[in-house]
Amino acid sequence: MSATAIPGALLASVAAPADVLAPQRRTMLAFLVWGFSALMIGAMIGPLQALNYGGVNAYPALAPILKSYYQGLTIHGVLNAYIFTFFVTCGLLVYLPARELGLAPNMALWRGCFGAMALGTLMLLVAMFDNSSSVLWTFYPPLKGSAWFYLGMTLVVLGSLMPLPILLDLRARWKARRPGEVTPLVTYMSLTTMLMWALAGGGALIELIVQLNPWALGLTDTIDPIVARTLFWWTGHPIVYFWLMPAYVSWYGLLSKQIGGKLVSDPMARLTFALLLVFSLPVGSHHQFTDPGFSPVWRGILTALTLSVALPSLVTAFTIGLSLEYAGRLRGGLGWLGWFTALPWRDPSVAAQVLAMLTFIFGGAGGIVNGSWELNNIVHNTTWVPGHFHITVGTASALTFMGVTFWMLPHLTGRALLSRRLALAAAWLWFAGMSIFALGMHWAGLHGVPRRAWISMLPRSVYERVYGDAYFALFLVAIGGCILWLATIAFYTVFLGSLGTRRLDRRPAIPFAQAFGGRESYALDGGEPVGIVANQEVSKLARALEHLGLITAFTAFATAAAYVPIFWPFLRNVTAARGWVVW
Amino acid sequence: MSETGASSAFEDAFHKSAERHERVWVFVAVAMLTLLLAGTMFIVVYAYGIVVRTDGFRRDPAAVEAPEGSVVKTGPNAYTVTVVARLWRWSPSPLRIPKGATVTFRVTSADVLHGFAIQGTTVNVTAVPGITGSVTYTFNRPGTFNIVCNEYCGLEHQGMLGRIVVAGDPA
Repeated sequence: MSATAIPGALLASVAAPADVLAPQRRTMLAFLVWGFSALMIGAMIGPLQALNYGGVNAYPALAPILKSYYQGLTIHGVLNAYIFTFFVTCGLLVYLPARELGLAPNMALWRGCFGAMALGTLMLLVAMFDNSSSVLWTFYPPLKGSAWFYLGMTLVVLGSLMPLPILLDLRARWKARRPGEVTPLVTYMSLTTMLMWALAGGGALIELIVQLNPWALGLTDTIDPIVARTLFWWTGHPIVYFWLMPAYVSWYGLLSKQIGGKLVSDPMARLTFALLLVFSLPVGSHHQFTDPGFSPVWRGILTALTLSVALPSLVTAFTIGLSLEYAGRLRGGLGWLGWFTALPWRDPSVAAQVLAMLTFIFGGAGGIVNGSWELNNIVHNTTWVPGHFHITVGTASALTFMGVTFWMLPHLTGRALLSRRLALAAAWLWFAGMSIFALGMHWAGLHGVPRRAWISMLPRSVYERVYGDAYFALFLVAIGGCILWLATIAFYTVFLGSLGTRRLDRRPAIPFAQAFGGRESYALDGGEPVGIVANQEVSKLARALEHLGLITAFTAFATAAAYVPIFWPFLRNVTAARGWVVW
Repeated sequence: MSETGASSAFEDAFHKSAERHERVWVFVAVAMLTLLLAGTMFIVVYAYGIVVRTDGFRRDPAAVEAPEGSVVKTGPNAYTVTVVARLWRWSPSPLRIPKGATVTFRVTSADVLHGFAIQGTTVNVTAVPGITGSVTYTFNRPGTFNIVCNEYCGLEHQGMLGRIVVAGDPA
């Protein structure tokens, strides 16, 4: 099998004359290290919140550092949901396409992206650790944090948009040299993700620049809370796809190679990304199902349309599932499930990503509940919701990114992974911890336990009276949190330890997968074997989906059409709310 | 087929069967989502009371109309309750109503965002400063229901609890 052979060009030797790729690798490493450092702080705080739900209040013991559960939760949410994911994504979605195409990205822009987001992170850290901005990661006004918080957030969002021009430039240069050919898959997926994010980021940017920054700087006295909230969810719904799509890039673009097989359908991968771009944007208002202020009928239509985003994920389940089966069969797996157990489970990068996929099956099913009408009313703002996003972004994305680091750190540094066994342990512990935690959170949510509430502060009698029914579920939450602490320690021992291990003789290559019917390599230069390109003859679909400009324009139009009727009553009925600092 | 010559009979056979199954899967997925969509829309029409309607806007969130927390009888065993959320309490609380009462809650906030959720029911309304939203719910089961604030509102958020007591006998 060619899939198991090691191509000779894989050895991008450390001793190569003038290693032109070194600056790209260093920048990519910087993105990874900064992003995962943010997750380290956020993930260490996380279990405190899980213990809170189990009735254990650890915060008084931490008083010098964390003054309240809400301060800890703000740090946890901002670092994990924004800083960690943005850094990893803005690194991967430039580095992988650049290596796939064999072209150098615009390094000044890419470093600018890092610089803007890093400066923003520092401002956010100051504003969060001094307890001036315990507004949680949703920062709904009229709760009022410090200007550092909103200005830092603005820089982070602006920085996260900078990979888009880099990718447009890479693709244009490649197209100029390969006229008439279809964009290689990893580049296609990365660019689609960034186009989606560019349209999505508009809401948060308008909220920050027009409303929050002037207000926090004292230029305006009051703010309109519902407008801010609606702008937030314009970004806040599609952001979940900004978290998810980079994980899909790894599942579609790399994993098949790592497990010794091929991607079974290149055009379906493209279709998935194009559908995610179109479907994720106009439907953010279903997060506001319980908000008054705009037409319930219009909201109902948009809420029902939310279910459409399940389609690309169901297509993904099929395509990736079949790619796993193909590899498993090649490895000798027989029978109904033999292919699954035959996968290379000893490879921590593979184990982490396949476990991430398993949890996403439940995450997706729960998402359909959230998007349904009456069911959403039962679970809205209960612990069900964080339970849901800890098995989606918290596992499907985060555990996939961890899996990516297990091959990528050796690739970037030329050093061995500290310990394969410990990496495997981290992946399994994360999977187990999150599963137990999420089971408890979902279950407690059905008992009406609210999310983000410092319930361990309540007098014992009140805790028992209001949340006593959910006691076992909340116990599971606490247990899951403790297992996640172990997972975090195991992972960071490997991550940080691998930065200083022995040098490898050869640098592992990027595991770009090959698709059925596709060519093996499409790199222009740069010396690594790469690329997934749809077979020109068979794939009319891939060719049709090349028109990303048209698809983006259509999405922008649909989003505007969805939001004009929502904003209309708000603009006619302005609320002028003053700010509150109440933590 | 493959330009690298890496193809095999197994790959070709797998590929062909994959494409056939793919079409079936996409059809099933679309059919399932269509049914879910229809079911969701049906429930919305059927249980329209729990859908949040808009009852008015005001420029100054603090200028809540009096009387705050009022309970007005609007029909045989039907009531309209004006719920006002403030840091960190609900009014009215406790709310006493007879079994079988149909209650329209008009919910608003005088300061920051709050969340009006009645545990064990489908009542879930965001209390938005400056906007009044309303939902209607019939309490067919006697007992004590907890009102839980489910939108973060500051340091004492967890303690922002209220109570609805549904009496055992119909009025």
